[in-house]
Amino acid sequence: MSAIKPRHQRLVLAGFALAALVAAGLLAAWALRSQASFFYLPADMAAHPSAPDREVRLGGMVERGSLHQLADGVTVRFIVTDGRARIPVRFSGIRPALFVEGSGVVAEGRRAGDGTFMADNLLAKHDEHYVPREMKDMTADQARKTVAATK
Amino acid sequence: MTEVLDPWPFVWAAYALGAGGTLALVGWCWQAMLRAERRRDRLREK
Amino acid sequence: MHRFANPARFLRLARPLTPWLLVPGLVIAGAALAWGLFVAPADRLQGDSVRIVYIHVPAAWLGMAGWMAIAAASLAEIVWRHPLASVAARAAAVPGAFYTALCLLSGSLWGRPAWGSWWVWDGRLTSMLVLLFLYLGYLALADAAAREGGGASRVAAIFGLVGAVNIPIIHYSVLWWNSLHQPPSIGLGHSAMAPQFLVPLLAATLGFTLIFAALVLMRMRLLLADAQSEARLRRKAFGGSVPA
Repeated sequence: MSAIKPRHQRLVLAGFALAALVAAGLLAAWALRSQASFFYLPADMAAHPSAPDREVRLGGMVERGSLHQLADGVTVRFIVTDGRARIPVRFSGIRPALFVEGSGVVAEGRRAGDGTFMADNLLAKHDEHYVPREMKDMTADQARKTVAATK
Repeated sequence: MTEVLDPWPFVWAAYALGAGGTLALVGWCWQAMLRAERRRDRLREK
Repeated sequence: MHRFANPARFLRLARPLTPWLLVPGLVIAGAALAWGLFVAPADRLQGDSVRIVYIHVPAAWLGMAGWMAIAAASLAEIVWRHPLASVAARAAAVPGAFYTALCLLSGSLWGRPAWGSWWVWDGRLTSMLVLLFLYLGYLALADAAAREGGGASRVAAIFGLVGAVNIPIIHYSVLWWNSLHQPPSIGLGHSAMAPQFLVPLLAATLGFTLIFAALVLMRMRLLLADAQSEARLRRKAFGGSVPA
């Protein structure tokens, strides 16, 4: 039974080391929260506007009814919102297939002097909801409820 | 202009990597294991 | 606890268990993938590209589970000095690295149609890439330690424990940081995924997990057989006298 004691000691030591490591990792991750974010929300951008020529990413929802095609046929303007702030965005180019109103988007570009965000590139961001195509005539909220009811 | 992209080539590529890679890994590990166990058994007999 | 310390006892269990895990795993995973390809519906927004989920999510789970296995075995090695623990940790590294790479590749193939980009330096993707590099480092270290012999495998075990810090970071990256990657769809007791997607996804995950377990057993048997062969050769070289 003499083997129990050093083994017990090693378990406690390893446990402490592991707890300290996890704490250090979580602290580092927490400290990084603004640097490690892939994009700014409209509210962040409204509160701390980026310098006009700095490359940044803006992410949020494409506001319903805000997507308009301009006369040149390649430029669109729309509003990105997070429920707290709204930022107008302008983009010329090919839009990803999943870029639609009411869905998530990440726009890469820079803020113009007048507060409009000039995007060079759009990335579609989709949420964690998976709904069969057969339910596509429902609104997202209805589909979500159906999923919740059938699971 | 919205991009028109056929998703199927991407789906097939992912399935080929997933299924083909798994089968290749299983085959390789099985072969290596049998070879090592045969070598051990041969050494034991001598 | 030391019931399986004797490799003969472990091998008696592992030899029949290998096919019993492998064959059902291959059947279940194959059926789930066929279901995912041909029967499961397309997503309302994503269309057919959603089918990549049946490869991507099991691969992500196994990439992370593989390192959790390495960390658990490393802890067992450091605390209990169990002789099979270092073998188990090394055995999980090759399949773990493979599934991490598969997760990154299938995710890239999914990102192009779904997001419009093959790769972005987002928190989730970057922390998963870090996991792949951790696996490659661990494989190199554990190999070198095995050649060295003696207490060198302790270094690999410490690396296995330290690397486990990355696992919660991967998991929470989509919740802590604004991320292009979507948050998890399935949690304890809730699912944002319709059952038409969820059932084949869970089946695929089960099948790949069984295959993974069989792969770990195969790697363990390989490592044990190599160790036994080398011990025998060494004994012969020393003319019957067993060196310490």
